[in-house]
Amino acid sequence: MAMEITQFLLAAQSADANVRNEAEANLRQLQQQNLPVFLLSLSVELANNDKPAESRRLAGIVLKNSLDAKDASTKETLVQQWMAIDISFKSQIKELVLRTLGSPVPEARHTSAQVIAKIASIEIPQKQWPDLIQSLLNNVTQPESHAVVKQATLETLGYVCEEISHEDLVQDEVNAVLTAVVQGMNLAEHSVEVRLAATRALYNALDFAQTNFQNEMERNYIMKMVCETAKAKEVEIRQASFECLVSIASTYYEVLEPYMQTLFELTSNAVKGDEEAVALQAIEFWSSICDEEIELQEFDTPETGDSSPPHSHFIEKAQSSLVPMLLETLLKQEEDQDQDDSIWNISMAGGTCLCLVARTVGNEIIPLVMPFVEENIVMPDWRRREAATYAFCSILEGPTVEKLAPLVQAGLEFLLNAMKDENNHVKDTTAWTLSRIFELLHCPSSGFSVITSPENLQRILAVLLESIKDAPNVAEKVCGAIYYLAQGYEDAGPSSSLLTPYLTSIITELLRTADRTDGGDSKLRSSAYETLNEVVRCSNIAETSKIIAELIPAIMSRLSQTLELQIVSTEDREKQGDLQAALCGVLQVIIQKFSSSDDTKSVILQAADQIMLLFLRVFACRSSTVHEEAMLAIGALAYATGPEFAKYMPEFFQYLQMGLQNSEEYQVCSITVGVVGDICRALDDKILPFCDGIMTLLLTDLSSSQLHRAVKPPIFSCFGDIALAIGEHFEKYVPHALQMMQDAAKACAHLDVDDEELMDYGNQLRRSIFEAYSGILQGFKNAKAEVMMPYAQHLLQFIELVFRDRQRDESVTKAAVAVMGDLADALGPNTKILFKDCSFCAEFLGECLQSDDEQLKETAGWTQGMIGRVMVS
Amino acid sequence: MADDGLAHHRRDPIKSSVGNVAAQRRRQNAVTVGKERRESLVRAKRLCRVGTSGDSEVSIDNDMMIDEEQSILETQASSAVEELKSAVVYQGKGAMQKRVSALRELRRILSRSEFPPIEASLKAGAISFLVQCLSFGSPDEQLLEAAWCLTNIAAGKQEETKALLPALPLLIAHLGEKSSLPVAEQCAWALGNVAGEGDELRNIMLSQGALPPLARMMMPNKGSTVRTAAWALSNLIKGPDPKAATELIRVDGVVEAILRHLKKADEELATEVAWVVVYLSALSNIATSILVKSDVLQLLVERLATSNSLQLLIPVLRSLGNLVAGDSNTSCAILVPGHEITDRVIEVLVKCLKSEHRVLKKEAAWVLSNIAAGSVEHKQLIYSSKALALLLRLLSTAPFDIRKEVAYVLGNLCVAPTQGDAKPNLIQEHLVSLIGRGCLPGFIDLVRSADPEAARLGLQFMELVLRGMPNGEGPKLVELEDGIDAMERFQFHENEDLRNMANGLVDKYFGEDYGLDVSTE
Repeated sequence: MAMEITQFLLAAQSADANVRNEAEANLRQLQQQNLPVFLLSLSVELANNDKPAESRRLAGIVLKNSLDAKDASTKETLVQQWMAIDISFKSQIKELVLRTLGSPVPEARHTSAQVIAKIASIEIPQKQWPDLIQSLLNNVTQPESHAVVKQATLETLGYVCEEISHEDLVQDEVNAVLTAVVQGMNLAEHSVEVRLAATRALYNALDFAQTNFQNEMERNYIMKMVCETAKAKEVEIRQASFECLVSIASTYYEVLEPYMQTLFELTSNAVKGDEEAVALQAIEFWSSICDEEIELQEFDTPETGDSSPPHSHFIEKAQSSLVPMLLETLLKQEEDQDQDDSIWNISMAGGTCLCLVARTVGNEIIPLVMPFVEENIVMPDWRRREAATYAFCSILEGPTVEKLAPLVQAGLEFLLNAMKDENNHVKDTTAWTLSRIFELLHCPSSGFSVITSPENLQRILAVLLESIKDAPNVAEKVCGAIYYLAQGYEDAGPSSSLLTPYLTSIITELLRTADRTDGGDSKLRSSAYETLNEVVRCSNIAETSKIIAELIPAIMSRLSQTLELQIVSTEDREKQGDLQAALCGVLQVIIQKFSSSDDTKSVILQAADQIMLLFLRVFACRSSTVHEEAMLAIGALAYATGPEFAKYMPEFFQYLQMGLQNSEEYQVCSITVGVVGDICRALDDKILPFCDGIMTLLLTDLSSSQLHRAVKPPIFSCFGDIALAIGEHFEKYVPHALQMMQDAAKACAHLDVDDEELMDYGNQLRRSIFEAYSGILQGFKNAKAEVMMPYAQHLLQFIELVFRDRQRDESVTKAAVAVMGDLADALGPNTKILFKDCSFCAEFLGECLQSDDEQLKETAGWTQGMIGRVMVS
Repeated sequence: MADDGLAHHRRDPIKSSVGNVAAQRRRQNAVTVGKERRESLVRAKRLCRVGTSGDSEVSIDNDMMIDEEQSILETQASSAVEELKSAVVYQGKGAMQKRVSALRELRRILSRSEFPPIEASLKAGAISFLVQCLSFGSPDEQLLEAAWCLTNIAAGKQEETKALLPALPLLIAHLGEKSSLPVAEQCAWALGNVAGEGDELRNIMLSQGALPPLARMMMPNKGSTVRTAAWALSNLIKGPDPKAATELIRVDGVVEAILRHLKKADEELATEVAWVVVYLSALSNIATSILVKSDVLQLLVERLATSNSLQLLIPVLRSLGNLVAGDSNTSCAILVPGHEITDRVIEVLVKCLKSEHRVLKKEAAWVLSNIAAGSVEHKQLIYSSKALALLLRLLSTAPFDIRKEVAYVLGNLCVAPTQGDAKPNLIQEHLVSLIGRGCLPGFIDLVRSADPEAARLGLQFMELVLRGMPNGEGPKLVELEDGIDAMERFQFHENEDLRNMANGLVDKYFGEDYGLDVSTE
């Protein structure tokens, strides 16, 4: 029944584009005509040892891509297609790919392993491939199996474990898989390839081993095998084995105690003497342990103290040997590691780990690190100076401010001088250290800063503004230092005046830095503009508004220059887009800052026409990143101008629509939805003429399966914004909008409670549905409130459901209790019966009234009043 | 499952440049600003005037619900104050009418939004004109509106409340018997807001004599006046200085009024009065000793037994707790085992322990722990009551803070009162029975908690078990429940005291001999 497709598959890889295109078209046609036959033909091709390796490889890839896709909705379609195929076809295909595991051609084995895993990911959860695990196990356990079969099968087991959940298998199967995998790691019995495949398979199977890790004997056995393979002769096996250890460190932290001595020796030897790939994993092991302990420390509140797993203090116990080992790694810098973001090496991994150790053990790190710093920071060898600086920087987070303040104050002048070091590397790390100091130890608004006097600040700024002219990588870190320096003065009252005298020169230097062309890529420019934004945002507005006002025309002229740029290549287009995005960002920050008071707002109002004109021209360039930043800036502008914004709407509306339709770049869509809200608040009922268009797009977005789910909550909130703005005119949208809201409310109940990310989304969704109800109810309050009467019952049920949910987020609680009041407020006596039957209301209000959150208490008080008014009516 | 082999672990270096993170943070911030504006817009639509006592006064006046842009509101406030100014100066025909309508306008503006334009009103000089409107002999309507304006201003931020200083003497003066009730009540409300702001303002008000007239306002049976006065008083005597509480209890007729209201008043009024009792009993020993000699305990118990209003139950229960804890004679002299009142107290505490509300459970456990700290008879009383089963259950299931209080009760049940610093004497019967009913894991859990106080409590109890269980059973029981592990966590603990305690116990009971002991069995 299978077709002969070798020719097409070979032609599809031809160098001749015409031949290639035609072959691809043919393959597509076959696929559309008869998918089962097509897939079967691909698997026949893949299984046939007489066919050329090239056609088999492509057959495997096409087969795999017919089962899985990155995009969730495409994937769902593919899964449905597969499930619809007749069982006899599917059995043949599965039989063929399983057989291919024994092929002498490595490529074919590898591809079929992947295909099997994809089929397994669809069928195992549905219990439609019950004998897969057994037949794979037979391949591994039967003594007569050839080594290549074992290798390919172990690889397959690994992939299968990665694709499915251990809950899809019964415990016996899990045990058998693990046994097979771990035995495959055995040195005495197996070839290198088999052991490597087994070790990599174990990495994927570790999540399956929960039960086995609870059992001491099984755990000991697994750990013994992993530790043995960690000493294997072959570097790949050692690396794979250390990767297993990293994963074990985070998954099974609580049972590691008995193995720590061994693990310390293993990792320490690896860090000191093994190949880089292995050493990196050995360091990662300790970083993962730190992650676990930091998390335990952060979440170990008395309330949950008993339910969280115990803290074993591994880092504290190991620190006296661990820290010296990590300090040694700092000396293994590469010459150009600061120039290239893609580099990751021992010194970087070691430094990162050291920072984590400091956060884990706090004050105790200081005596372990400071002697190293003091000894090396004055050495002639730049590597020693750089390592010492890095080490100093790494302990800035973790110890208490009391311990750090004297150290940093004593070292600050030294660091400032080191910005003139002869070595680029040392300067880079010094500048980064300064930025960390300002980030962590400079907070005048809370009353503490390592910068103790105005003279201090003057000296620091003199150094920074000089060093920002240094090499691009150093300049970037200096930007970071200025960024955090400025941030410290946010809301700092009178002490924010300290920065004012330097503002002009800071801005000048940042603009000059943004204009530099020696940076190679846009990183320096982006750092410079973002630093400028932070400086503006945190400045003392009363004193600096004149200076910042002058920045507006400067930025606008830069933005309009970008419109004149010659665009030849896509690279040019991208560069223009980045630049426009950065400049729109600056304008957004200035507009937002100036909108906070009437005096400064007038500056924006005067320039509003020109700014808007410029934004419209930028939109006409149509680059997506610009779209996002320009949208945000326009949202800020709408807030500043208020109802005046109406005059821009006819011209701007098309771009608003484009944004709402941009389902591919969902962030753009999401931000545009937010801007609709801003405009609603600015225009009030003047938004009415545009509402049909907007509501249509929002409802379309909601029903689209293509659009990222993250956009849905903002859309519901936006319903509320629109309803608040147009009041009773929202009536015509009610049937559709409310249908969507009720559907979404239902969907909330079916979210997987174990998936933290999904729970977070669920909370956002719940809150946004309540916000939609609140806006609509408040909007209808003065007229036509009865339109909402048919939905009241459902709303109360939804609130009750949310109330019963013990994991509900505080922001959801707030929105829920508020909407209850809105219901009573808007519908009045009509709701009396509903509230009378609503036994949970009092309980819910009682809980909220006891809250420590003033705003929640107040809202609950108001709701109580509103319901009370209804009840006595 | 990348085609190019395994995806290796790689984390982001901590050393990185500021650009990317900063841009993301900035965009996040811009989006958040929009959300905040939505929230404040909706809040402005919802709220008009909210009293600070927590029970909101909801105005039904519809035109007060209109939302206004803050800046418009501010402008309106300034011009309303201007209007008031000219009305105050104007002496011609219809002067009174003019003043009243100017005041009413200002009051409406100040009641209109969630964020009333207080600052703008103050800047425009509102206080001095409002004080002029409070002058003696002014018509009631004018006084009422002026006091209302001041009430709303006093509900603002701290510095705004302080602006009321010049108005305090007149507000206090209008509390007197000669004022009409609505005026006096409005003045009490304003003063209550001021008193709620902090002890500095409270002390000033006390020195200006605010307390006696407020106390007298509590005596009649006029519902809303008494409620407002009680609320203002509870703010005024909040301390920390106990003087005001003592002064209040000594005002003639106050004790009787409190008792009367606790006995007869509706729940809302009883709630405010109960808060007065909370502060009286929390701060002043003199007040406590006077109160325990009255019928107050019976009345509190009665309220606890009959009410289901959480708002009322909280202050009532806390008052009861204060009275029991504050005066050691109370438990001895009044809560005599065998007396009816004692059984009733235990009964209502059992009711609270059973309640769904965490606060009630916690406070009830706290009261019981104070009773359990009393004589052996008291301990037996609790031990044989229905409370015990509930406490045991709470120890294993309740949230941490409740468990801690419960542990105090249970711990106290097992030790006899002692003199000096000696190790507490055991009540072995209680200990054996509690252990038998499975309370040890609960205490060992406390040992594991990060809260030193709870950990100490757990260790102390463990010491009792190790020392006091018959036949040297203690160590085995502790070991069985993983107690050794729990104690070993203190081996390097930063709290020296706890460390010594834990290490001492481990050394003493699980030293070298321990293992041998077991193996020779």
